[in-house]
This record gives sequence, C-alpha cells and structure tokens, in this order.
Amino acid sequence: MINPSTGPSSKAKVQHMMYGFGDDPNPLPETVTLVEEIVVEYVTDLAHKAQDIGSKRGKLSVEDFLFLIRKDLPKLNRCTELLSMQEELKQARKAFEVDEDKLATLE
Amino acid sequence: MDQQQPPPPTPNAPPPSSAVDPPPQPQPQPQIQQQTTPTPPSSTSSTAIPNPNPNPIPKPLPSAIPPPKQPPQPKPALPSHQPRSAAAFSRPWQQHSAQFTHFSSSSPSASSSPSPSLSSQPRGSIALGVPSSHSGPSPPSPSPPQSTPFTGSFGHSFGGTSSSNVSQARPMMRGIGMGSSVGSSSQMRPGGISAQHQQRPLQSSLRPTSSPTSQSPSTQNFQGHGLMRVSAVGSSSSTPSTLQTPQSPNQPWLSSGAQGKPPLPPPWHRPQLRAHIPQQHHSLQTVSQQQHVSSPQVPPQNISSIQQQEHFEQQFSQSRASQSLPHQQQDSRSQGSANQKPSSLAMVQPSTVQVTQNKAAITESDDSGGRILSKRSIHDIVNQIDPSEKLDPEVEDILVDIAEDFVDSITTFGCSLAKHRKSDTLEAKDILLHLERNWNLTLPGFSGDEIKTYKKPITNEVHKERLAVIKKSILAREAANAKHIIGQTAVNTKGNVGKAAANIWVLQMLKYEKYHEALFFF
Repeated sequence: MINPSTGPSSKAKVQHMMYGFGDDPNPLPETVTLVEEIVVEYVTDLAHKAQDIGSKRGKLSVEDFLFLIRKDLPKLNRCTELLSMQEELKQARKAFEVDEDKLATLE
Repeated sequence: MDQQQPPPPTPNAPPPSSAVDPPPQPQPQPQIQQQTTPTPPSSTSSTAIPNPNPNPIPKPLPSAIPPPKQPPQPKPALPSHQPRSAAAFSRPWQQHSAQFTHFSSSSPSASSSPSPSLSSQPRGSIALGVPSSHSGPSPPSPSPPQSTPFTGSFGHSFGGTSSSNVSQARPMMRGIGMGSSVGSSSQMRPGGISAQHQQRPLQSSLRPTSSPTSQSPSTQNFQGHGLMRVSAVGSSSSTPSTLQTPQSPNQPWLSSGAQGKPPLPPPWHRPQLRAHIPQQHHSLQTVSQQQHVSSPQVPPQNISSIQQQEHFEQQFSQSRASQSLPHQQQDSRSQGSANQKPSSLAMVQPSTVQVTQNKAAITESDDSGGRILSKRSIHDIVNQIDPSEKLDPEVEDILVDIAEDFVDSITTFGCSLAKHRKSDTLEAKDILLHLERNWNLTLPGFSGDEIKTYKKPITNEVHKERLAVIKKSILAREAANAKHIIGQTAVNTKGNVGKAAANIWVLQMLKYEKYHEALFFF
C-alpha cells in the first residue's frame, strides 16, 4: 500500500513532541532515537496486550485499550476526553449534512 | 609557579587542544612532578592541590591538581580547564599518576564555561575520583581531603570555580545522563560537561577519583566509563567526544601503570568511579582501541578477552557507579579477575543509551572479583530518589550484595545464552533477552533496531483449563437463560465453578440441562 502523504518522518514528529514536553528544540539524535524506540516499544506492547484481551471477547475494540491504561489516570482521562470529542464532532458533522439536505429539499 | 599557573589556564581554553595534550602528557609527567613540588605553594591558589608527590598521587583529581603541573606540560588545555572536558581527562589521568591535577582538566570539556580563571587546569578535568583528595586545600594530604565528598572537594580543589561548576555540572549531568553515560562526571566537572564527550575522558579520570561523582545512575555510568577510558587509554573513547586523544596517551600510561594505580586513585578517590575502571583501563588499553565503543566506555577488564571487552565497552555506556572505589583497589586484582569474567562486565544500564554507538553494547558491570558497587553509589542513587533519605549501614551492605548478586546472575546467564548461540562473545542481545524474559525488564536503546518478536505471557495449563471451564459455563448459562427459566439454579452454580474438576461437572450439567430442556418442551 502506498502511503499517499510522506509528511514529516517519525523522528521529526517525536522531536517536536519532545520539544512540546520541555526539551530543547534541537535534541541530540541519539536521544530522539531512544525516545522513538521507547514509544514504538510501548505502542507495540500495548497493541499486543489489547489483542490478547480482545481475542477473549471476540474482536479487538477500543474498550480493550482503555482497559489497559486504566491504571494511568491522566492517560485514561485524556483518552476518554478525546473519544467523547470525536463523538461530538461526528454528530456535528451529521447535523451539518442534515441541514444541507433539508435546504436542498426545501428548495 | 605562579607564572606557570596562569599560563596553563589560558592555553586550556579549547577543549580540543586538550585532546592533543594527552600525548604530550606522558612526557610532561616527569616534568610536572618537578614542577608540582615547587608550585605547591603557588598552585594551591588555583587548584588547591598541588600534589607534593606526583607519583603517589592517588587521586586523579584532574581539576584539583593545580596548574603547576600544567604549565610545564605542553598540554595546556588539558588539565587546566574543567571544561576542557573529556580530552583532558585522559591526560590528567596520565599525569595524574604523577599528579592529580590533570584530571580536573579532563573533566567535561563541554562545560567550557568553567571559569578559565581557575587557572588550575586540573580543575576542569573531571575530578571524579581525585577531586576529593585534591579538593583539599592542602595538597600534601591528598588522601584525607579526598575522602571528603566529591562535590565538596571539587569546590575546594577547583578553587571555588569548580563548586559552581559542579552545581552546574550536576544538573547537566542529569540531563545528559540519558544521552551520555559519561555525563555523570558532572560532579567532577563543574562545568557541566558535555556529557557525551566528557564521558570518555571523564570516566578515565573518574576512576581515579571514582568518588561521588557517580551520583546519578546514568551519570555513574559515565563516570565509570570516563575513568575507565582515561585509564584505559581511551580505548573506547569512541564516544563522539573528541576525548579520544586522551586514550592514546593513556595507553602508554596504562601499559606501564597497569599494575600501578595511577589510573585508579586510591579507592577513596572515587567510589563512584566504578571500580571497573581500574579493570577497565587495563582491558581498555587493548580493547579500547579496537572497540571504540561509543558508549560508555566501560573498558573490559581483561585485556586478554578483548573480544568480550569490546562488547562490554559498548555496554558500558551505563556502567553503574558500582565500580567505585573497591575496584580501584582491586585494580591489579581486577586484571586477573577480569579474565575470569569478561561477561560480568555487562551491566544493564537502563538510563544511558547510546543507540548510535553501541547497538550491541551490553551493559557492563564492572567487577573485579571484589565488590562492584560501592556504598557511595548507593548513596547517590538514594539521593536521587530522596535527598533527605538516610540508610542504615546494614541496609547499604545488603543493597550492595543484592546488586552484586544480580550482576553476577545476569552475566552468568548471559554467558550461557551466548554459548548457546555458539558464540564466544557475550553480546548485548544475550543480556537483553535474559532480562526481558526472566526479569521482565526492557532496556530501550540497546537492541540495535532488531525486530522485536512478541511473545505472549506464558500461561499455565491449569489456568487454561479454568478459562475453558468458565467459557463453557458462560455458554451454558446463556443457553439456559435463553431457553428457559427452570435451569436458572443450575446455571448459577455452574457459573461459580472454576476448578478443573468442575469442568466435568459443568459438562454433565449441560448435558442434563439440554436433556431436561428437551423433555420440557415435549
């Protein structure tokens, strides 16, 4: 599958995130590599564990991920916040589309 | 004397110059000795540690050694400045055998900020092990002052500038700790050594001083490395820093001083220096050149086991501070013991990661057949957690024992894995595999971007049987509830059963239930 948008490399993204958390704007490459490795390892591990849990209940779902980070309150709250915002956006888009349809029918 | 001192500080300015210094160091050493004696009175002003006895100088205290040494030596850059950083380390270390002064200079060159005014070039170097001794205002009693905590000694020895630098270095070290194992030398180097660079020289210098600098575990690694490097002839100084030069000069020293302690200042110097430094430098000499391990510099103890050492050096990046003093003393011993345990070098170091340099770096745990960890490093680690925490002496002893046992077991198993791999070299992956599977410890930054295969956590048979029983009971319950109400009691009981024996019972109940259901409908 071809990736349509190249965008910034993963290292650049990690670098920007590090800056956002308080690091130097230009951290050492070794540091960036290390942080990236840590992040990749964490995400991989989380996905594997979610798979294990999901397979017991059928298929993988968002609930499995939330269950895995239940012990980390900041992360958990942030995740639920993002998910609820996503729901809101979905509804907003839906309402927007409905409005257009109504206008079209009215006219 | 005074004249000598002022000039040295100025030339020290550029760290790279310090790198150059190492080679000339061996020569100037004899000169320095002469100078040191006359300069002691004058030098005290700058570094406060004019080593009256160049040879015995146990403390590598690079910074502490007042300029007297420096002026005579061509290495102006080296010892004089703390910021001179790493390159200076090697040199000061060498000279250190003659005088301590140089160590200070080798200290983190990165921290070039260290006041050049310090005139006492050695100050800049990592006073890792030595500073304690030098820090004392009176050079004649190097040992007593050395015992004082490094941080304190630094301040004194460096003549005040170091103290400020030390504080700077410390915070820097912390940050650097991650990236550069050597950074730990920060204590040594008040100038906030550019951890990476300094690591190399620092470690070497650290060793002699092995004193408290190894405060942070990551820093410790550096220190150990730094010292090792310095002593080990900067073999692995491969670290990005330019410290490499110190290595070469160290080598000549190492070869000659292998037996002696010059690289390893008396144990009191640097508990932090990671004892393996003494061992390492021996091995480093041979290995360092080959390995050029980017990481921490933990020089393998055995010169003979160069291969292993190479790996270790890479791994050293994080050598714990354990090496501190006990190693130094055992330096001579370590050589012998090093041969026995090349594998023991691997010390897992979670903090420092030198991804680029040592992929296969195995954490090196220096151990020279004696104590690996010193109480000083335990103190440092505890201070990181809680500065006001106090530990009983027995607790410290126990912690040291636990750490040593841990290192022993890790290296032993790592060696068996390496053997299973049909290789005679202990590599980072052996240690990483062992830690991952048996200790559930992951150390990022060492795998070298190898594909990580995921292995589900091992489950027991009994657990699987129980899970199957529960599944069946759930199905049965759903079937029962969906079909009729009569079987509710049976369903409830089924749900509670979780034992393997209940499995049979559940199956039977299911059968009965179905049978009854069939009968009921009819």
